Amino acid sequence: MIALESLTCRYEGRNREEGDENGTDENGVDDVGTVAVDDVTLTVPDGEFLVVAGANGSGKTTLVRTFNGLVRPDTGTVSVNGTPVDEDLVAARAAIGMVFQEPRDQLVSATVGGDVAFGPENLGCSRAEIDRRVSAALDAVNMVGREDDRIAALSGGERERVAIAGALAMEPDHLVCDEPFAGLDDPARESVLARLRVLHREGTGVVVVTHDLRDVVGLADRVVGLADGRVVVDGSPGATLPDLAALGVRIPETCDTDAGGEAGRSTDP
Amino acid sequence: MSTRTESVDLVGDEAATNLARAALFAALVGAFAYVTFPNPVSPVSVTLQVLGVFLAGVYLGPAWGPAALLLYLAAGALGAPVFEGGSAGVGALLGESAGYLWSYPLAAGVVGAVVHRGTALRDPSAAGLGTLVAAMVLGTVVIYALGVAGLALVLSLGPVEAVAVGAVAFLPAEALKIAAAVGIVRSDAITAA
Amino acid sequence: MTLAYVPGDSLAHRLDPRTKLLVQIGFAAAAYAHATPRGLAALTALAGGCLWAADGDIADLWAYRVAFPVLFLAPLVAGATLGSPWFRAARAAETALASYRVLLLLVVAAAYVRSTPVRDSRAALQRTVPGRAGTFLGAGVALVFRFLPLLRRDLLTAREAVRARGGDRLPVRERIRLVAVAGTNRAFGRADRLGTALAARCFAWNPTLPRLSFEPADYPALALGVGLLAVAAAAVI
Repeated sequence: MIALESLTCRYEGRNREEGDENGTDENGVDDVGTVAVDDVTLTVPDGEFLVVAGANGSGKTTLVRTFNGLVRPDTGTVSVNGTPVDEDLVAARAAIGMVFQEPRDQLVSATVGGDVAFGPENLGCSRAEIDRRVSAALDAVNMVGREDDRIAALSGGERERVAIAGALAMEPDHLVCDEPFAGLDDPARESVLARLRVLHREGTGVVVVTHDLRDVVGLADRVVGLADGRVVVDGSPGATLPDLAALGVRIPETCDTDAGGEAGRSTDP
Repeated sequence: MSTRTESVDLVGDEAATNLARAALFAALVGAFAYVTFPNPVSPVSVTLQVLGVFLAGVYLGPAWGPAALLLYLAAGALGAPVFEGGSAGVGALLGESAGYLWSYPLAAGVVGAVVHRGTALRDPSAAGLGTLVAAMVLGTVVIYALGVAGLALVLSLGPVEAVAVGAVAFLPAEALKIAAAVGIVRSDAITAA
Repeated sequence: MTLAYVPGDSLAHRLDPRTKLLVQIGFAAAAYAHATPRGLAALTALAGGCLWAADGDIADLWAYRVAFPVLFLAPLVAGATLGSPWFRAARAAETALASYRVLLLLVVAAAYVRSTPVRDSRAALQRTVPGRAGTFLGAGVALVFRFLPLLRRDLLTAREAVRARGGDRLPVRERIRLVAVAGTNRAFGRADRLGTALAARCFAWNPTLPRLSFEPADYPALALGVGLLAVAAAAVI
């Protein structure tokens, strides 16, 4: 469980760099601006599929980066499974697997297996345990037996799935994906969505950060909408869709409150 | 889980980013080896590795700049095609180019120390024109002094002969790189530093 | 075209990377200690053997073509002299031997590069260099291998963009500046995203070390490396 209590983050001082980095992203789908996170209290239960939605600059990336201590809040507290993140950073990072935009820049090794092993190696797992985790993580992203494939030869969707496997190999309680569909074509997006669906069904909590709800609305248990760093919408997908449109979030065209999932996927992004 | 997390010695977020920057700069110096420009004053075309050495000193500073160039040498020795002409291998570090290559970490350190006036980083675009030029001229002197000494040693050449083989045809292009590097730093066009 | 690791099952492919590094160091020491025609003749046979054991051939040396002009020119410059006799053959011969010695070092290095994947080199670093320095070098070298092709493409793209906008008419200094700025900014962007991802994955100074162990085939090769070092030491003492 992730619990945020009265959280505020400003861009000045040590968090400024995060803002700069986000601002330079060539996809233009990230958070920029001076307001980061403004007095947010939020609890993410285990096993929940949560979508954090908001327009560019709404603070959503900064918000999720507080979950595992990549961004330290100016005021307020973050705890993971009851322990404040500051007290055990390793535990927080092992419990929250995080996948960022541009998976190309997150993969550290020449081969798929070498990359997925990076997290468990850092946690000091034995070689046998690492092998077990790598094959389980690759299984979870539908890439069984691809350990020796070269990263450079993968498609965009495969890279995204390897990045997810790298996070899963730490056996996290929650998987956080920041704009996981940016830059993916339709089949690749489908393949990533299908894996998130299975992971969620098997009990892993999933948090998807996005400015475009069309892909994930059918999977979500809950949607939190951010504007200017504040939580302005929080509820079931059906109940929140009308309000989210006003925040500059893309929503399915057939604005079905039943949230039929693939309904709005007919238009190209 | 709890016993294991205590034994993990985290690199630390700032050091992790510094290490990533050092590795990426090492790769950038290697990628610069493939970029050639015609040399206006000599038939030998210009590659940009030395420009990468300057920029590593300027943007990573006197500690991480040399660290980046050490990674460059290590990766090249172990087979990454980052040396001149896309070559690789331990041989380059022991052969005729040894002096030049080993001088790179030192030169990046010298450039970084002059531009930042010590180990604490400051905004390089705030450094005066004179400081920048002096830093890079000094860096060039380090590279060629060690490079020519390496040639003399490895190929049993006298000092004048080594200069004739290893410096005369290449030195004019260095002025070009210094000018380009100064232009880069002064134009404040590097956003992430 | 470029010299790189080629997957295979040759003798050299099966050796431990540390063994191959020791042989290279031993070879270099012997080559510097015995730059005589006889010494270099023996080492030529050995260098050829190394390359053969790695399934390589003479074409691999093409990667070192930029070194050839210097290696060829050096003996001529060394032999040349102002005034009579204009050319001293003995001086030229001495430098020619030295040049040839460098060529042999390149041959042996090519054998290592051909037969050793990054994973092995990284493992050798982390298992040989102790503590944080080993982690820094091991992780750093792996990242250089990983990101070099991406940065090469970034620079190529930048260069084409400059050209497409009529950059060919700009002075060389200005063209260099534009390409370097684009490349450096891309490198910084990638580095900062990578740094964040490393941190999120608990990047640690004390990770589980990679698997690496000496096999029976390594022992004769290790003995060769030690022998070469001994031969070199004998010449010095």
